[in-house]
Amino acid sequence: MVFSTILFLFRFLPITLLLYYLAPGKLKNTVLFICSLVFYSWGEVRFFPIMVVLILINYIAGLAMEAWGRSRSLRRVFLIFSIVGSLSMLVFFKYTNFLITSLNALAGLSIPTISGLEVLPLGISFYTFQTMSYSIDVYRGDVKAEHNIIDFGAYVVMFPQLIAGPIVKYRDVAERLHVLKGRISLAQVEEGVCLFVFGLAKKVLLADNIGGLWTDIIGIYGSGGIETTAGVGLANASTPLVWLGVIAYSLQLYFDFSGYSMMGIGMGKMLGFDFPANFNFPYISRSITEFWRRWHMTLSGWFREYVYIPLGGNRKGLPRQIFNMFVVWTLTGIWHGANWNFVCWGLYYFVLLTIEKVWLLPRLQKGRIWPHVYTLFLVVVGWAMFVGNETGVGLGLLFQKLFIFSGGASPLYFLRNYALVLVVSVICCTTLPQKFWDEAKKIPWIKCATLLVLLVMSVCYIVGSSNHPFLYFNF
Amino acid sequence: MKDFLQKLRGYPALVLFFVCIFGFMILDLICPDREISELENKKLQQRPAFSLSSLTRNEWTAKYGDYVKDQVIFRDGMISLQSRFETVLFQKCENNGVLIGDDAMLFTRMYSLTNSEKALLPRNIQAVEEFAFRHPGQVTFLLAPSASLIYSDAVPLYAPLLDENSMLDDIFSQVPSAQVLDLRTLFGENRDQYLYYRTDHHWTTNGAYLAYEEFCRQQGLTPFDREAHTAVEVPNFYGTSYSSSRYWGAVPDVITYYELDNPLTVWNLSADGTKTVLSKGDMYDYAKFDTYDKYSAFMRGNNGYSTIEGDGEGSILVIKDSYANCFIPFLTANYAKIGVVDLRNYNLSIDNLMESEGYDQVLILYNFQSFKSDARLPNLNR
Repeated sequence: MVFSTILFLFRFLPITLLLYYLAPGKLKNTVLFICSLVFYSWGEVRFFPIMVVLILINYIAGLAMEAWGRSRSLRRVFLIFSIVGSLSMLVFFKYTNFLITSLNALAGLSIPTISGLEVLPLGISFYTFQTMSYSIDVYRGDVKAEHNIIDFGAYVVMFPQLIAGPIVKYRDVAERLHVLKGRISLAQVEEGVCLFVFGLAKKVLLADNIGGLWTDIIGIYGSGGIETTAGVGLANASTPLVWLGVIAYSLQLYFDFSGYSMMGIGMGKMLGFDFPANFNFPYISRSITEFWRRWHMTLSGWFREYVYIPLGGNRKGLPRQIFNMFVVWTLTGIWHGANWNFVCWGLYYFVLLTIEKVWLLPRLQKGRIWPHVYTLFLVVVGWAMFVGNETGVGLGLLFQKLFIFSGGASPLYFLRNYALVLVVSVICCTTLPQKFWDEAKKIPWIKCATLLVLLVMSVCYIVGSSNHPFLYFNF
Repeated sequence: MKDFLQKLRGYPALVLFFVCIFGFMILDLICPDREISELENKKLQQRPAFSLSSLTRNEWTAKYGDYVKDQVIFRDGMISLQSRFETVLFQKCENNGVLIGDDAMLFTRMYSLTNSEKALLPRNIQAVEEFAFRHPGQVTFLLAPSASLIYSDAVPLYAPLLDENSMLDDIFSQVPSAQVLDLRTLFGENRDQYLYYRTDHHWTTNGAYLAYEEFCRQQGLTPFDREAHTAVEVPNFYGTSYSSSRYWGAVPDVITYYELDNPLTVWNLSADGTKTVLSKGDMYDYAKFDTYDKYSAFMRGNNGYSTIEGDGEGSILVIKDSYANCFIPFLTANYAKIGVVDLRNYNLSIDNLMESEGYDQVLILYNFQSFKSDARLPNLNR
């Protein structure tokens, strides 16, 4: 199930919240668990058992690590058991066919790919990272093992952060999960409501809207890669138009992802949880280093805590530190998708971050304007690499179009058509709306009116964008 | 409880949000379902019947999601409002694949051919040429240009539409065996007339008549006399481009038809050549003029094979898309029998049909937009 649908907004969410609020303290986690399982299974019912198995593996491993707490080696066995359990599911569903095709290409083999893996279990990249953080924390003794399987299950499959994060560590929510009385405070719910509505507006009004500019160029593809709406075509577009398209895509990606995270955090608050923030105005960064402290913060935090620091972090000298960064960024790249362009994208950031670490960072800190230009340029190029594998794009053609000037369809029409959306989007990348809101929300009627307008507009867009009459059916 | 309500007064945004989502859900649940959305010309998803097997195949959940979306209360109003936000608030000059041009003219957005159209178009051109080659001297090929080509100056500035002009040149040059009817010059000269609907992708009855006159000139026929017939005007027509864009400033069109009592018979043909009458009646489905989807009144829709008794001599077979539906009535002045085939609903051999029914002439009439995407055209050569 997707947040920005009528089904979620006006069926799932109200019913779940109602049940959750009405349930007595002891049953709240049960309600949350069951509702989240429905949410998870809605799109692909056949993936339901996978979730159950994953919960069981990590639950049992946690209990076992606690029971044999004194034996380090036994604890390690169960840690490995649980990590292999989580990771093998992730690898199987997300990477099997990538590995097979890569192996075939490298070794000239022709192993057939496995069918049925085109669709991933919903949110698998997120919840497997959550279960791994749980097991590692229990192993290290940073957190107590969870004894109640319902409470544990509710943590793993909790719907607000299931699809797109933030990646919540068990220890972030363990305490709240066991609060039976007074888990919900009105102030927190109100805060959650505001975050949710802003997140929804970001996703529906900004991301989907500005994303239209990109699909105007590359076209819209339905299931099976069939082009349903023709775009200008990357090959026909001029270099300035391709740049405009990639910038629009960069904006779309940010609003989409951060909007989703915001909705997740907002709903977390409605349920009485405080999830960690995931985005902190990444596009105002003045270096790539800063960008990654502001973009998808829970993922970078996860890699820092569970990969970078255990490998030695920066404590074992510069060469080792650079190696550790290499490992982290290769993994970050591959986490984003099973393809070589994502690996390249990760390595690209490894190179940039290493350059900044060794030489550039102090210089960037002295500059005023150019560090912004530098950062945004490199980030947009990064997103071009990121999107290069999408149907209708082609990494080679995209970079050729970006860096070797070519004529073709001009960007004028799109600049005119998307002028206001672009302006609003750019403003929303800055801290300006936040500052404005901090003042505006002090006046109750302005606060309510803003939320109401955004909610109504978002719902209209959700309904309206599904308005695809059979134009050519009765031609 | 009283305490709680008292406390709630301090959280107006919370109250507002919950009133919105619960209120909307309840209203939505009690609002009765609709069969179709006339405004969108779309069948709406009905409540899917639950079964365990449809659940495990992910069908039930998907359909239920569509059902909730399709049957949402205030659907029509919200779609119109969204269109207004797009065009007024965000100042866009298009919505949902429709470009909003000068004088409230709505144009289909065509930036390029889709991958499947790139494969289909050459096949369709070849199909027409092959067919015409087999029937020398008998075949006329009329390919109507899009409104966006004739009124290109009304299209939003700099819109990177595909080059229909050169594509039409290309198409016409590849069908040397047929008599080609290229309307671009004629329509260009008469562009101050009402040639295309503002809110629909079809041409008007007047546009079709101009094309028909040109056809008569080519064939040496005397055209249908419009003065001698009563023209009936049906106002308030909002067409497909309006359905998609829901442009708030759309100006409704007027549909014109000529009162004619030539009977139209719709046939069902089977592979062994037996013919049965499906229905018999007028050329117009008058009831349709009172509904939203007014254009479908012409020729009583897109039937597989139908015939019309005309007042002229000889016979003609029209192989067509819906552009021909308002064109064909004029042919009653020139032919004794007019056969009409819509390949989307007819999959038998056209050659056999021509032989058994004895047609002298063939008119292939399409508009560019459906010609580039119609996968059934190769059936011409079955």
